[in-house]
Amino acid sequence: MTAYILRRLLQGVVVLFLISAVTFLLINLAPGGPTSAVSLGRTAEEREAVLRQYGLDRPVLVRYFDWLGGVLRGDLGKSYNQGLPVASLLAQRMGNTLQLALTALALTALLGVALGVLSALYKNRWPDHLISSLATMGMSVPAFWLGIVAIIVFAVQLKWLPSSGIFTVGQEFSLADRLRHLAMPAGVLAFTLMPNVIRITRSALLEVLTSDYVRTARAKGLSERVVLLKHTLKNAMVPVIAILGLITTVLFSGSVVVESVFGWAGLGRLAIEAANGRDYPVILGVTLLVGAIVVAVNLLVDVLYAAVDPRISHE
Amino acid sequence: MSSPAPSSAAPARPHSRLWLRVRRNPVGVGAFLTVCLLTLLVVLGPAFYRVAPDATDPLNILAASSPAHPFGTDELGRDMLSRLLYGGRVSLAVGLLSMLVGLTIGSLAGSIAGYFKGWAETVVMRLVDVFMSIPSFFLVLVIVTVFGNHPLTVVVTVGIGFWAQMARVVYAEFSKYRGREFVEAMHALGASHARIMFRHIFPQVLPQAVVLATLGVGWAILTEAALSYLGLGIQPPLASWGNMLQNAQAYLYSNPMLAVYPGLFIAVTVLSFNVLGNALRDVLDPRN
Repeated sequence: MTAYILRRLLQGVVVLFLISAVTFLLINLAPGGPTSAVSLGRTAEEREAVLRQYGLDRPVLVRYFDWLGGVLRGDLGKSYNQGLPVASLLAQRMGNTLQLALTALALTALLGVALGVLSALYKNRWPDHLISSLATMGMSVPAFWLGIVAIIVFAVQLKWLPSSGIFTVGQEFSLADRLRHLAMPAGVLAFTLMPNVIRITRSALLEVLTSDYVRTARAKGLSERVVLLKHTLKNAMVPVIAILGLITTVLFSGSVVVESVFGWAGLGRLAIEAANGRDYPVILGVTLLVGAIVVAVNLLVDVLYAAVDPRISHE
Repeated sequence: MSSPAPSSAAPARPHSRLWLRVRRNPVGVGAFLTVCLLTLLVVLGPAFYRVAPDATDPLNILAASSPAHPFGTDELGRDMLSRLLYGGRVSLAVGLLSMLVGLTIGSLAGSIAGYFKGWAETVVMRLVDVFMSIPSFFLVLVIVTVFGNHPLTVVVTVGIGFWAQMARVVYAEFSKYRGREFVEAMHALGASHARIMFRHIFPQVLPQAVVLATLGVGWAILTEAALSYLGLGIQPPLASWGNMLQNAQAYLYSNPMLAVYPGLFIAVTVLSFNVLGNALRDVLDPRN
């Protein structure tokens, strides 16, 4: 077991290293990379000076290992546009993204599993059809458009919820205010995340429901409720947890868009601001951080998986 | 065979069995027809509805629907219907071409990795891990930022966001088939690797690739729309369904329909491709 964890850890480090290399080289070797951005509207001498100031006059590999060394010490460089250390910018935004992401994740888990269970119990009857159409819709409707429509309905027409921001400016902290701001972005994000959870829950539950031990439990005369809650659901949850890594990537992709629609100052918005302002160190930092989170989640899932389910071999 | 067989048991020819499964899937057929209809609409529509997508009508800014402008006008007085048709051309084309890019890269990389194993496998599959660990939207964002947002760049970029998934599926299938008897037989007959890979193994993988590619078109259209909405994809004045939503959010109070129509088109299109993809899976791969 320890050997397995160590090996997975090593694999994670390798993937992280490759992520850093791919993004750094992509950004620095591209025709529109940092060196070209500083040449706009400057004379040759000025350009030289700026390049030297940012250390861009050195070969790309030297810069890469220099940057990587910094990353290992927790120094991600400085933002070109804001002059602040990238690490502190990330720290500022991380909390907001976590608030949104975790709320959306909780909603997704609760509703997704509940709908998946319903779907499996009513297999091929109308609740199943209704829920699976809902899931297909969640995969097909653009998140930003759903957000805009939600704003039209709940903010513009009904005036129930604020259209953007994280809290009402100038007001003291209140949980109700925070929740009112969270409702739409988290709801939209959850709607786009749910299809995966619904599908996996449904198929996992259907598989478990036809297994021998469930038949035995029923034969013993246990009530359907006990069979479902105590014997089936726990085992059906294993594949759901297994796709947590996938969910995390979808969550981050979705948060970029949703944060922009609702003016939510999180990592996704930071990425867009950096992309629009060609702030390369920030783009690099956000991508690396998000990649690291995904790798960590995947690692955690695999280890938990192996620890929980004795049938999974660690060979 | 003396008694007349009932027609529903019409046997054996795989072709007719396929057709039977298609007929039993009216939802999938509906999705296919919707895709065809949308394509016809955006390709031929402008030939019949002859209003220029970038002609402004300053006296009718943010107008509601009227005989002159059936879907109203935007903030510059441009005709929405015309922009929706022309924007649809761009969105559909970007979606299809991106999928082709992803399909090509993914199939090539996946088949080489699965067929030859060894270091090719290591290199390709570690790269797949990397690309699967960076949320696709961040990846697309990074590439568009450095390579610019020429429409062709957007196509390639969105395709790159999709290749890893394709490579994984093709790789798994190639790993499965490489040791089979028919492959050994072809080796023994002296067939080249390329011939075995593309004439003999790839056809086995094709059904899965087609399903994934169909779902991929939907994903690509969504991604292009999101990029363009954020101002990083297709640039105005060229209309796409995504960038039409970019400004619409500012006019939610004066003309909310501006924000509704393009999204509706995106949703219906992507929905059709997703439903079609799922239906194709049922038809082509009944084991699932």
